[in-house]
Amino acid sequence: MRPLEHKKLLTLITSGDLQRLVVETLRGCGVGGYTVVPATGAGSNGLQMGFFDCDSNVVIYVIMSEERLQRTLEEIDRLMRGGYRIKALVSDIAILPRKPQAKA
Amino acid sequence: MSSGLFQNLLDPAILFFVFGVAAGLIRSNLEIPPAIAKFFSLYLLVSLGLKGGASLAAGGLDATAIMALMAAVIMAALVPAYSFVILRRIVSPFDAAAVAATYGSVSAVTFIASQQFLTQQGVAFGGHMTVAMVLMESPAIIMAVLLASAVRTRAAHQGASDGPLPALSMRKVLHEAFTDGAHLLLIGSLLIGWATGDRGKEIMAPFTIDIFKGILAFFLLEMGLLVARQLRESQARLNGGLLAFAAIMPPVNACVALGLAAVLGLPRGDATLLAALSASASYIVVPAIVRYAIPEARPGIYFTMALAVTFPFNILLGIPLYFALSGWIVGQ
Repeated sequence: MRPLEHKKLLTLITSGDLQRLVVETLRGCGVGGYTVVPATGAGSNGLQMGFFDCDSNVVIYVIMSEERLQRTLEEIDRLMRGGYRIKALVSDIAILPRKPQAKA
Repeated sequence: MSSGLFQNLLDPAILFFVFGVAAGLIRSNLEIPPAIAKFFSLYLLVSLGLKGGASLAAGGLDATAIMALMAAVIMAALVPAYSFVILRRIVSPFDAAAVAATYGSVSAVTFIASQQFLTQQGVAFGGHMTVAMVLMESPAIIMAVLLASAVRTRAAHQGASDGPLPALSMRKVLHEAFTDGAHLLLIGSLLIGWATGDRGKEIMAPFTIDIFKGILAFFLLEMGLLVARQLRESQARLNGGLLAFAAIMPPVNACVALGLAAVLGLPRGDATLLAALSASASYIVVPAIVRYAIPEARPGIYFTMALAVTFPFNILLGIPLYFALSGWIVGQ
């Protein structure tokens, strides 16, 4: 079995309207792969019932290295300081890689 | 007015809306699957656009139509301007700009319900009013973004800003406004309806006319459920001033529109639709753009006001009221 790799999982929760802005920001940080899951819920924005884009949330999952994480968080932080309502969660994960790491 | 109100409340589509509100208030788990509800909203826009375009092709753009379109553009600029001035006394400048944009723009569903009401009353209206609706969608957004930008710049110069300014250009905001899916679909349908005229209308009739009322009823059922849930939110999020604004400004805006319609000599049907458009608030297109362009504003305010207070008021009471007022102000 190929060995597990240690990575960071960045989970972003935001409104459906801001999905494009967040994804463009991630791309600007060199993030090529991400997963988007529609979501509903409630919070400071009010009820997010999923009927319209403006009352739907999305959860964006990005797996990345620790090196890329810092730059990405700085960009997400810039958006949040500008007033955009984004929740950013970072967790340590171990992932079974698609390709085994090349031996040195 | 009472017979118009009574007839409106006995319309099956309106009754489904009331039923939806009641089901939501008693916390029923009744739910229309979101993807289907989204399809319904797109369907309504396609039908509206196709029928409006076909009517426009048949009637053309005569002097009355041009006056109506001018009145629409004037109202689209006027409403957010004076709304902002009033709202600045109640909320922060960013919230004021966002709410002004919401109320300066329009609700397609309110427009559709107004058309249905006029048809029931046997009052004609022009296909150009769909064009008027399209014209009224965006000016308020542009004004609100400019207002918010001015507030942001002033705050930065005074050193009051907490963080960097959002990196948004007016070009990006305009791009968002004009490429919004719902907005684009309406414009596309309008153009297709205009290009294909009566023949296209006849071909599409089984889709855009025969089943229209049924789908509108289903959509309003979902809107009722939504309104009921947002009503609970409104108690938590809206202060007395905002509640008063959401309830009082629609008929005020309608009266301003009717006054303008009278001055320009618009017929009663067009005047009523202009009043309904001016009294309505956007809860689809504008909140999506404002969340992007004015992130400092609180969606829990502008979205809740438009959906929980203004929309049900217009659907249940406003439309017959504006029709009655049009009879007095504009004449028969």
